[in-house]
Amino acid sequence: MTKRIFRSIFLVALVILLAGTVLIMSVLYGYFNQLQHKQLKIETDLVTHAVENEGADYLEQLDVRGYRITWIDEDGTVLYDTDANASKMENHLDREEVQEAITYGYGESEHYSATLLTRMIYTAERLEDDSIICVSTVQYSLVSFLLMMLQPAAVMLLASCLLSALLASRLSKKIVEPLNNLNLDDPLSNETYEEVAPLLGRIERQHRQIVDQLAELQQKQHEFDVVTGAMSEGLALLGASGQILSINQSAARLLGTDQNAVGRDILTVNRSQEIQDVLFRARSGQHAQSTLPDGESEYQLVASPVLSDGEVSGIVLLIFDITEKSHAEQLRREFTANVSHELKTPLHSISGCAEIIKNGIVREADLPQFIDQIYNEAQRLITLVEDIIRLSRLDEGGGDEAKEPVDLLTIARDVVDRLKPYAAQQGIQLRCGGESAEISGVPRLLSDILYNLCDNGIKYNNRGGSVTVTVSRQEHEAVVQVQDTGIGIATEHQNRVFERFYRVDKSHSKEIGGTGLGLSIVKHAAMIHNATIELDSTLGKGTTITVRFPTN
Amino acid sequence: MRKTFDEQLMQLNREMITMGSLCEKVIAMAAKSLLEGDKELAAKVVHSDSEIDQKEREIEAMCLKLLLQQQPVARDLRIVSSALKMITDMERIGDQSADIAEIVTVADLSASDDTMHIGNMARAAIKMVTGAVDAFVSRDVRAAVEVIKYDDVVDDLFNKVKHELLESLHTSTEQAEYALDLLMIAKYFERIGDHATNIAEWVVFSITGRHDEEGAE
Repeated sequence: MTKRIFRSIFLVALVILLAGTVLIMSVLYGYFNQLQHKQLKIETDLVTHAVENEGADYLEQLDVRGYRITWIDEDGTVLYDTDANASKMENHLDREEVQEAITYGYGESEHYSATLLTRMIYTAERLEDDSIICVSTVQYSLVSFLLMMLQPAAVMLLASCLLSALLASRLSKKIVEPLNNLNLDDPLSNETYEEVAPLLGRIERQHRQIVDQLAELQQKQHEFDVVTGAMSEGLALLGASGQILSINQSAARLLGTDQNAVGRDILTVNRSQEIQDVLFRARSGQHAQSTLPDGESEYQLVASPVLSDGEVSGIVLLIFDITEKSHAEQLRREFTANVSHELKTPLHSISGCAEIIKNGIVREADLPQFIDQIYNEAQRLITLVEDIIRLSRLDEGGGDEAKEPVDLLTIARDVVDRLKPYAAQQGIQLRCGGESAEISGVPRLLSDILYNLCDNGIKYNNRGGSVTVTVSRQEHEAVVQVQDTGIGIATEHQNRVFERFYRVDKSHSKEIGGTGLGLSIVKHAAMIHNATIELDSTLGKGTTITVRFPTN
Repeated sequence: MRKTFDEQLMQLNREMITMGSLCEKVIAMAAKSLLEGDKELAAKVVHSDSEIDQKEREIEAMCLKLLLQQQPVARDLRIVSSALKMITDMERIGDQSADIAEIVTVADLSASDDTMHIGNMARAAIKMVTGAVDAFVSRDVRAAVEVIKYDDVVDDLFNKVKHELLESLHTSTEQAEYALDLLMIAKYFERIGDHATNIAEWVVFSITGRHDEEGAE
């Protein structure tokens, strides 16, 4: 900007300087020329008069400076010359001014010197005796005049150049200063050149646009964060080279990092081989899955490439916590193995007995014993299968059985009645008491709960012991308590007795009977009624199991 | 120019992390195969070691290319040159893990009844390698100094194992071969600890530009 302004100012200065010079020169030169001619004429007149009066003597004593005076005869012979020896000079008759003087009494002429630098002006005047006085003087020509002007002109040029530069820099500074002091955050509040108003208006518009867009973007980002933040699955968006663009809370938690990880390479967060493998495959454009074991937990990794124009421009990494799932899977596998085993044992027994009978090696007297065995084992098998069916039905959500108002005391009495003979057989006293408590439930399942609890109480009891069922009503719940004086459950087993096929004493399970599914059924049936189960047991003293049903 | 350079440095960093994590994997596998007597796993270690060797050559080529083409100075130069030194130590860790695995495949270590100290050594060595790689990843001088200090623990454990084996040789010479094998393994773990220390020292150098011996003490 300074440069441009300088150029303009300097150009203007130069043009004016040049034009001024030309103008002044032409005027001055003409004026001086005229002046010199006039002076020369006066000079010539003076000399002529003096010579007429005093003759050659005057010329002799004359001290001339700047003029050359020549006195010639009427035939052109030089009589006297102030500069040279007159006798050696040529005839002057054919000179223009001399001719004019002879004819008109006065003549003038001028000649340029060979170098053009100077000009000679000649004047001639006729005296009364027809001799002629010639006066000449040197006049500087235009060229020499110009040459003389060269130095001051250069000084002027330099001065104008400096002045232009100074002015230009000051001017540009002055022009730019208000522009630099513009408040661009609020463009319209500025008071400045009206020429900039359209620009400021436009800046204002764009400013607003940017603010709007930013707000929109933030809104979208916020929405995205809220949506992904609420996800229980981990979600991370990665750039093509693996830097984290966005990571939600779950992913940050699963990978053991926080939001500071954004912008860093995923490898600096977790450098396990599994992640590297899925990322490598995703980077080559494939959908990749893998599981990442991490101590007790297990995560599933799913990486999908983000393609744009056939190039992988990013990777979406999903992380699922499959710890529970894989745990459940393991439980299921164990359950299947247990079921097969439990089913196989009685079948072997049945098949063995049947084979012995078939081969006819059983004595007639022993036959009932074998048949008994077959019958018992078959019964056990049936109970087991029934229990499994019951349990799998409970697994599916308790079947479609509708809930109805039931009195827990009625059910308890019913169950106790059914089990009385068995209890008597085991030498156990079975009691039932309490108040009637009505809840909404599935009678069959509630009956299952009580049956299994009482059955266990009788089974794992000492001869002469007792089992007491108490039904009571409390503010928001109905409580069923089954208390026995049996062998109790050791603390380390208490958490596990509700697992399927879990037996505290595995070696004696066959003598006692049972399938190992009883408490599992209780747990599931209670879950369907939103009931909670409390287990309180002391080894050798007995067990109390309390089931609390919410009444509303 | 600078942009490609930065990208190349980032790529180098990624490759270094990958190689570090390979080292962690390999030493963990070797330790597991040793403590559980899993010969199949031990055989896999040898394969993983060749992966590390491959990686070392890749990173080496990358570093040389960086040095030649970009002629880095100051901090960048430190990063590249310490990377060159670190991969040598990482590669040695891989080799020594493979050596341990090889002993596991060849020797019968099932007689080992007290692997407590050697197990501790293995865990300590793994901790050092992980710590060194972590320090590199997070550019953490303090963590690196921790690793350097931890080398004493591994050295002490090595002496313990040595004395234990010596005592067992005094009582009976039946298990001499077994004792020698275990001593070799212990020595390998001790060396792995030294290499992890070296890596940590290079991490310190690449960040501070000084081999801060005082900082390590």
